[in-house]
Amino acid sequence: MIEPEQTDLTLGFIPLTDSAPLIVAKEMGFFSQWGLDVKLQKQNSWATLRDKLHAGLLDATQMLAPMPLASSLGLGCAKVQVITPLVLSLNGNAITLSEKLHQEILLENNLAHITLPLAAYLLQNVIEVRKKQNRPKLRFASVFPYSCHYYQLRDWLTSAEISEDDLDIVVVPPVNMVAFLQSGEVDGCCVGGPWNAKAVRAGIGLTALTSFDIWQDSPEKVLGILASFQLANPNTVIALTAALKQACIWLESIPNRFEAARLLSSDQYLDAAIDVIAPSLIGSCLTHISMPPRAIPSYNQFSKSSHGSINVPEYIRGEWLLSQMSNAGQLKNIEVPADLVSQAFRPDIYQQMRLKLEDQAVQFFRRSG
Amino acid sequence: MLRTNIFTAWIYRLQHTDLSSKHTAVIAELRILLIDENRQRAESLTSALNNSRYKISHLASPNISLLKQVDEIQPDIIVIDIESPSRDILESVSTLSNYNPKPVVMFSADQNTDTINQYIESGVSAYVVGDIQSERVKPILDAAVARFKAFQKLKVELSDTKQQLVSRNLIDQAKRLLMKKKNLSEDNAFKAMRKTAMDTGQKLEDVAKTLISLLNTI
Repeated sequence: MIEPEQTDLTLGFIPLTDSAPLIVAKEMGFFSQWGLDVKLQKQNSWATLRDKLHAGLLDATQMLAPMPLASSLGLGCAKVQVITPLVLSLNGNAITLSEKLHQEILLENNLAHITLPLAAYLLQNVIEVRKKQNRPKLRFASVFPYSCHYYQLRDWLTSAEISEDDLDIVVVPPVNMVAFLQSGEVDGCCVGGPWNAKAVRAGIGLTALTSFDIWQDSPEKVLGILASFQLANPNTVIALTAALKQACIWLESIPNRFEAARLLSSDQYLDAAIDVIAPSLIGSCLTHISMPPRAIPSYNQFSKSSHGSINVPEYIRGEWLLSQMSNAGQLKNIEVPADLVSQAFRPDIYQQMRLKLEDQAVQFFRRSG
Repeated sequence: MLRTNIFTAWIYRLQHTDLSSKHTAVIAELRILLIDENRQRAESLTSALNNSRYKISHLASPNISLLKQVDEIQPDIIVIDIESPSRDILESVSTLSNYNPKPVVMFSADQNTDTINQYIESGVSAYVVGDIQSERVKPILDAAVARFKAFQKLKVELSDTKQQLVSRNLIDQAKRLLMKKKNLSEDNAFKAMRKTAMDTGQKLEDVAKTLISLLNTI
């Protein structure tokens, strides 16, 4: 085993289905197996979660995959070197439209019903008609400026040559998304679970497509740690990463996924009903209150994909995210150091952790004969 | 990493701000948008700022209307509870849109926030720890505004300087090309470019760009 330098840790998470690895590691005792006493602290906003990590109020945290790069570049915040030794999940987001926009799409395109996944070009007529009638532009929401949600939304719209001049994109925190859709403050959003399913169950939205329909198997959430914390506590970071990796492996099994949904639903975590948390975890995308769900087996991925383990923070993943940030115009007038990705994405720590995990497995088999 | 007490940092700055503000003749009214679900704290802040140059609009549960409110009020400062989910909406106001960035001051009841440090250094936001004491509120807001303005000025200067560097490089490159391909002296090459710019009413930088693409294709 390994001796962590610091055993009491506070971890931040945002109430989302893909915070499952953190909650499972806590509830199934993986953290304690590695000698860690972990407190999970629910956060209300990504910006505050980031600031608390930067300031040392959180020792580690679930992060949107582009956030370690944004922090290291000082985008929207003070420049602080944040690293990730572990990818926590792939996919998991979806684009949900308000019922009003759903009806507008049917009307302006003379359609009786929608085919899913929805092609973005069906929005073109809506945008045109609104412009002619001098009505306000469509307003879409993502969850953070430096999020896959934002880039996925952009990619989907770009596929139909719809630009940010044609509609507005704003940021709304995940927990408020359903209320914003319902009030008409936003016409559509790209958000993670369980908030899409919640909007569908409540009859206020149509989930038009999942992020898996836009990008296949790209990192969504990662474990974020200050580089300075890792330097001071290398063993703690290995133990933490190992416990979370075990939770990700545990989450591979579908029967376990339902158990995870049960854990997540408690009010200290997601505070949401099982019937909106479980579907995406078992590969089902709720679409509309009067339409059947779609099968999206990779809706939430925590450990394996068709290409092997997903948890390694490979440089190529970081470079891809960086190119998305650049496409979105977020790197204008920003000097990007050549080693930005290799400083932030740390497969070397992942490999050290994997060796420890293997050691532990070998010892376990020896003991049990 | 060095951890400084926020208040120490603020008080240090306040002394400097106070000195400079003595020379400010006209003090304009500043609009504050306060986002805080804690009504008691909101009331104490509002009363602390009575008869000052700050005018407060308070939003208790801003989730639905925050964007509209920001649009309507056009606040000069936003004061927000650090734990409010709406914090992320503000990130979009300053990052995704062209809306002018605003200084953001945050209140937090969390005693641990003593350790929040470098955020005041980022120049974008300021954190205030613990309960609001009325005599401290005004100077904190004054300092936040002053610091924010200084930071914005610095940012603009930096981007101007970068732009100047880029255009100087372009001009140099065009000049060198002219010297080489047209066999001109440095002085004459520059004069030729300047004349073209004056004759055509273009910026020297744009003339340089055209020259570079022309001379490189010949």
